[in-house]
Amino acid sequence: MMKFIRSKDTRWLSIWVLSTLAVWIWDIVFLNKPALHKVFNGFFNTFIIAILVVVFTLILGWMVTVLLHALQSRTNRAPYLAVTFLMNLIRSIPQIVGILFAYVGITLLVAGSVITSKALVFIIMAISMSLFIFLELVDLMRDRIDHFTKLDFYSAMRVCGIPERRVVNFDILWKNSRLHIQNKLIAVLGYAVFLQCSVDFIISVGLSTEVNEVTLPTTLGSLLAKIDSKQDILAIGYTLTHPGYTGHLFFEHLQGMTVAFLIVFSLVSIYHIANGYAERHRL
Amino acid sequence: MSTAHYSVIIASKGRTIAAVDDFSVVRNEISFLFGESGIGKSMLCKAIYGLLDPEELHITVNNMPYRAYLNSPETRGVKQSSFFVFQEPSSHLYPLTRITGQLREGSIAGSAGEEEILSRLWKTADSAKLKGILDVYPKPYRPSGGEKQRILLAMAFKKIALLATAETILPTFFVFDEPTGSLDNNYRNLFLGFLFEEYRKKPFTAMIITHDYSIISEVYEHHNSLIDKIHYKELTRIEEGRVRLHDFSPDDYLSWLRQTKTHRPMSAAPAGEVVRVAPEFRIFGHDHRICRDAARTQTVDLVIRRGEMVYVKAPSGVGKTTLAKIIMGLYRPDTFSMTLCGRAVTEATQRSFFEQEIWGRRAGMVFQHADEALDLEATVAETFEGLPLGHKLTHEELDRSLAELFEGGVTEAFLAKKAKFLSGGQKQRLNLLRTIILHPDLIILDEPLNGLDFESVRKIIAILEEKRKSGSALLMISHNEEIFDALVDEEHCYYLS
Repeated sequence: MMKFIRSKDTRWLSIWVLSTLAVWIWDIVFLNKPALHKVFNGFFNTFIIAILVVVFTLILGWMVTVLLHALQSRTNRAPYLAVTFLMNLIRSIPQIVGILFAYVGITLLVAGSVITSKALVFIIMAISMSLFIFLELVDLMRDRIDHFTKLDFYSAMRVCGIPERRVVNFDILWKNSRLHIQNKLIAVLGYAVFLQCSVDFIISVGLSTEVNEVTLPTTLGSLLAKIDSKQDILAIGYTLTHPGYTGHLFFEHLQGMTVAFLIVFSLVSIYHIANGYAERHRL
Repeated sequence: MSTAHYSVIIASKGRTIAAVDDFSVVRNEISFLFGESGIGKSMLCKAIYGLLDPEELHITVNNMPYRAYLNSPETRGVKQSSFFVFQEPSSHLYPLTRITGQLREGSIAGSAGEEEILSRLWKTADSAKLKGILDVYPKPYRPSGGEKQRILLAMAFKKIALLATAETILPTFFVFDEPTGSLDNNYRNLFLGFLFEEYRKKPFTAMIITHDYSIISEVYEHHNSLIDKIHYKELTRIEEGRVRLHDFSPDDYLSWLRQTKTHRPMSAAPAGEVVRVAPEFRIFGHDHRICRDAARTQTVDLVIRRGEMVYVKAPSGVGKTTLAKIIMGLYRPDTFSMTLCGRAVTEATQRSFFEQEIWGRRAGMVFQHADEALDLEATVAETFEGLPLGHKLTHEELDRSLAELFEGGVTEAFLAKKAKFLSGGQKQRLNLLRTIILHPDLIILDEPLNGLDFESVRKIIAILEEKRKSGSALLMISHNEEIFDALVDEEHCYYLS
């Protein structure tokens, strides 16, 4: 147990889980049922989508890395250059702008009844986000492959007749880069939560609330944009000049407080978990 | 003759890294310490010398906590009058001070005779040349590895010179950790001669850690008068982390060498050529020539037939490994021509030819450094997965092959062990076995005896002989000339320039 707590990543994971649980218990006792239901849905949806983003980022990142590695050694450079160009094109679009446009597309698809299942909306939202995040994983994995191919490690295995696909996938990426990839995926979870909250907040504030409520699932970002949450956030500012009001925050402004806390504290925790993981494994 | 006995335990996070019950050091005499790499030779010597960090490791010496051992007057006294020459000289040299400055600081500041020591170690009286080498800030690429090694040796000799001026014989413990690893045989012998000369003037205690068994021949041939003062020890593994120090009989090595020479194969009967390399090639802007004679005057094709073992000789850095990598298609030369397994290969041959037809099927190569050549995160069993054997290696086949090189039987725990947890010698044996198990027509072995103890050297040589007899063509690259000269006759030696 002490060993578990001594590592920064596991310590912050514990802090995150326990604090979130404490907030939920407090909310169950003091937050009204409809608001509690909304906050719970927002939290659940946000993290389900973020986890899906991690999964799709891993799949997409791994596939593109292997594809680029295979194309790189071909005599015909055209396919390699085409894929690299496409990647650079995606890279040139700011993540938040790209995801915003993807959300507009999803909204149109839902409004046109092309997508009707909620699960499919989750999946498409996650894929859209992965599309603008996975390049970070590709860069990491290609760096790892480049590093190992320069060493005797790669040549020594190849001259023994071990197939390229095994050396790259098993020996380099799985056996020797797994921890690096895992660390990046923890960071990707953080990006996904942050981007999702930011984009949902922008959509909910800037676009028609009606469209948003009907078409996209409730997330922590969209909840934060609601008028009652905003009032709760304003109340936090109010306590700076009226400290005596602080106690009311924990009983009367719980929805906004909870949403703000879950977003900020989750991001801080994920940041520390990723850093701690890198420190523990000396990455 | 008095002997100091040490019982040492070095552990970290509950795991024993190295433990020995009786590490004996003969006082005021010279000991050579053999044993496979990674077994704990350096670490045990560092522990006894007093170089390890008591905060990082849990250490006891003679049942004494390490901090108490470090603070004991005896340890402090020995440390004050001794010197530890590190295996990796770069780690000893401070990059922000000129080498000349580092040669004149600390406890060796007041030592006289620096010029003579340097000229002895560099075999030159040209002080301008020495100044050019030494009046620089050490960087990874300068001076060269061999020069850096000689700088550390010069520091040790300065300390020895200080002892010579003392009126009494001080308690000493000089440790030379692989002092000749980056030196060719000429400089190695020069160092040994110098060390023995200083020893004759005034005795000191020295422990020389090495894998180079040919030092024994050098001592017997040229320093016979000191034989009584020189001891040979070997460290062997008893169990995980626990080792035993015992006397190594120089006769075992010398008689094995004689026997190897006597039984080496006669000139091979004409057999199918596996590889024929044209004598001149160019790579990275440098021209290279393959010659038949040591004077490098007569160029010839490098030819290896089935059942032949060929030995390529050249000083460090001339391009032996480069030639091997060209033959294997890993480097693209500027000009090159060879016939490999009946196929013409030139500088224009595509890598895909080697990938599809050569690697693992017709030819294999054992790389010099097992630490780099193996996937250290893979288990012993996983190391053999993916090899083009035509069938999945069965448990029994793997056990049988491993048992040839790994004593004590092959257990499930051993097969599941990650390569990174093996000792250096075990890694090297695994590295060799991965290629040998393939049965290709041509096997190139780059420094195959690196980091091995004598027992493993014997086993490897025996396995290579079996391979040769079964029809494989073997190309050997090694700086261990004594062993390979015994194994390969002059007809099968080539010289690279």
